[in-house]
Amino acid sequence: MPPPNTPEEGMAADGLQPLYDEPLQTSSSHPSSEMAHASQDESCILKLDYQNIEYIEPIDDTLLCPICKTPFHSPITTACGHTFCAACINRALETQPTCPIDRQPINKTRDYRRLPLIIKDQLDRLQVKCPNRGCDYECSREHLEGHYERRCEFTQVRCPDPTCTKLVARRDAIATKDCMHVDVACEFCDQSMSFPQLTGHYNHECDANFTECPDCNTPVVRHRLVKHRTQDCPEGNTQCKWHTAGCKVVDKRRIVQEHEQSGCSFEVVGRLMQQRVEDRKTIDELAARLTKVELAQSRRRERRIEHSSRAGRSPIASSSRSAHTTTNLPDITLNNNHMPLFPGSAADDSAAGGSAEDYMLARFERLETQLERFERLETQLEQVRQQAREIDTRQSHMILQQATHFSEQLAEIGSKVGVVNMHMSWLMSLQRQSNAQQRAGSAAAGGSSGSGMSHGSGSGGGARPGSSDDSGVRYLGESRRHSEGRPESLHRL
Amino acid sequence: MSASFAAKRLGKELQKISNSLPPGIELVSAENFDEWLLDIKVLDNNPLYQNETYRLKFRFGPSYPIEPPEVVFVQLPDRPIPMHPHVYSNGIICLDLLGQQGWSPVQNVESVCMSLQSMLTGNSKNERPPGDEDFVRVNRQRPRDIQFYYHDNDV
Ligand SMILES: [Zn+2]
Ligand SMILES: [Zn+2]
Ligand SMILES: [Zn+2]
Ligand SMILES: [Zn+2]
Ligand SMILES: [Zn+2]
Ligand SMILES: [Zn+2]
Ligand SMILES: [Zn+2]
Repeated sequence: MPPPNTPEEGMAADGLQPLYDEPLQTSSSHPSSEMAHASQDESCILKLDYQNIEYIEPIDDTLLCPICKTPFHSPITTACGHTFCAACINRALETQPTCPIDRQPINKTRDYRRLPLIIKDQLDRLQVKCPNRGCDYECSREHLEGHYERRCEFTQVRCPDPTCTKLVARRDAIATKDCMHVDVACEFCDQSMSFPQLTGHYNHECDANFTECPDCNTPVVRHRLVKHRTQDCPEGNTQCKWHTAGCKVVDKRRIVQEHEQSGCSFEVVGRLMQQRVEDRKTIDELAARLTKVELAQSRRRERRIEHSSRAGRSPIASSSRSAHTTTNLPDITLNNNHMPLFPGSAADDSAAGGSAEDYMLARFERLETQLERFERLETQLEQVRQQAREIDTRQSHMILQQATHFSEQLAEIGSKVGVVNMHMSWLMSLQRQSNAQQRAGSAAAGGSSGSGMSHGSGSGGGARPGSSDDSGVRYLGESRRHSEGRPESLHRL
Repeated sequence: MSASFAAKRLGKELQKISNSLPPGIELVSAENFDEWLLDIKVLDNNPLYQNETYRLKFRFGPSYPIEPPEVVFVQLPDRPIPMHPHVYSNGIICLDLLGQQGWSPVQNVESVCMSLQSMLTGNSKNERPPGDEDFVRVNRQRPRDIQFYYHDNDV
């Protein structure tokens, strides 16, 4: 018998392994489909896989999809009130058009309802880790897709060499325009791999080349010594992770960890601050988008003004315009040449041009200040909205937590009652049997004792406890299951 | 794609059941996502199953949990096949929970084990399904007996 703990240790130790392996496998086996994806969206080829996200805190069971057992991803609620990931329920309905929980008939999409916003909010706020190996980014789940698909420098993107169909981490693709898919050998363990994989190999895989940590004297792989000393070493000095919130504790890591686990009093403040930082991020993103839109708009307006002034003006006026924008050098020299030759007309013209321009500029400035004020108002509004939302969700979260706590307890009690029920019915049947036996024994002394077991009337109550508890156990009548298929002819025996 | 769906779900289940399993259920091996072995015991003192441990073999297809797993009892020197009117002496189990109709994707390895535990707990008949001997004899002539039986039933 193999030791029972082998597989799960493997699972826990390299939980990130499959995340990294999958994109690589895909890249080697389906180069053509990858190309198709790449042309659709060149920033990110592999979509974020919600089933593979690592969650930082334990997830409440009520947020897990009963089919895939991971926190819901774009969930729907059925007409009978059960919630599943849309993808999961769609797959299940292909096999059987009923609700997997209560067997109510379900019509795909017609019987789908939207989920209460409070649940969506809870899901959005779950704290997750970026699934890319090497990336330490943590955020709430609603922000992860943006990070993974657009910003994370470890996300696999297409090799910058247009003739190559393989994938590289985004930062490698930015760093060089050459294909790096030429195998190199690790200088310590002689494994060969492509260049972008080498760093990952050093940091996570290569177990050759050990050295001793000077602080805790345990053997550490040399490439990971720095990481060990700054992040793991129990003897290294570190701060409490809530130091940003004001905690002053600095000590050896094992002591600080004890302190953190026993409940740092700054934790509450720290968490609030994290939340704020995240809200800030959302606001900044929105503001950046707004300025981009504005910039594009004002540029368009400028161009229109240029166009109209060029259409109505002499070449000299247009030259003064270009002097204003100071981009067109030859025009300036032309202007300088003209000045002494035709002082009157040039001065006249530039003055006329200037006044029209001044008018435009003034209007422009007024518009700009208006825009600024508008922008300020908008940010304020957004902040207020954010705060209201925060308060709202915090309250609803509290209520929901209490509710789930109760429902968990109820479910536990329910299951216990079920077990007790089962045992009761079995005990009762046993009792009935022994009663029957006793009666039989007293009626006809010396009756056979062996037969009491097999045709005791108790089997009616005891043989099918499954039908009384709702665990979903139902035995097929022999008439149906046994007579179908193979042993049909045997049944008559 | 579908293979990895089963693997991901089984990974989640493995994580959960390696932390805790209900009393009387024990994980024996789960080296891959194709086949797992578990041991179950009947907890009350039903004389039919007292002091016995039974070995279950789960086999998962690529569409698990949309499709049910194949579950059979396995015979070993210290692991008999439990006596039950729904369990053939070659270990094949006749439980609608494990058939196409009775299965639901919200079921899992743990819940199947618990259902089998309660199926045994509730039984008092010391007998095999009707026609067991002949079924087992016919079945042994087929090389991939278990699969044959299930496919046969599906058709
Ligand atoms: Zn339902
Ligand atoms: Zn799901
Ligand atoms: Zn990342
Ligand atoms: Zn390349
Ligand atoms: Zn190496
Ligand atoms: Zn150390
Ligand atoms: Zn602290």
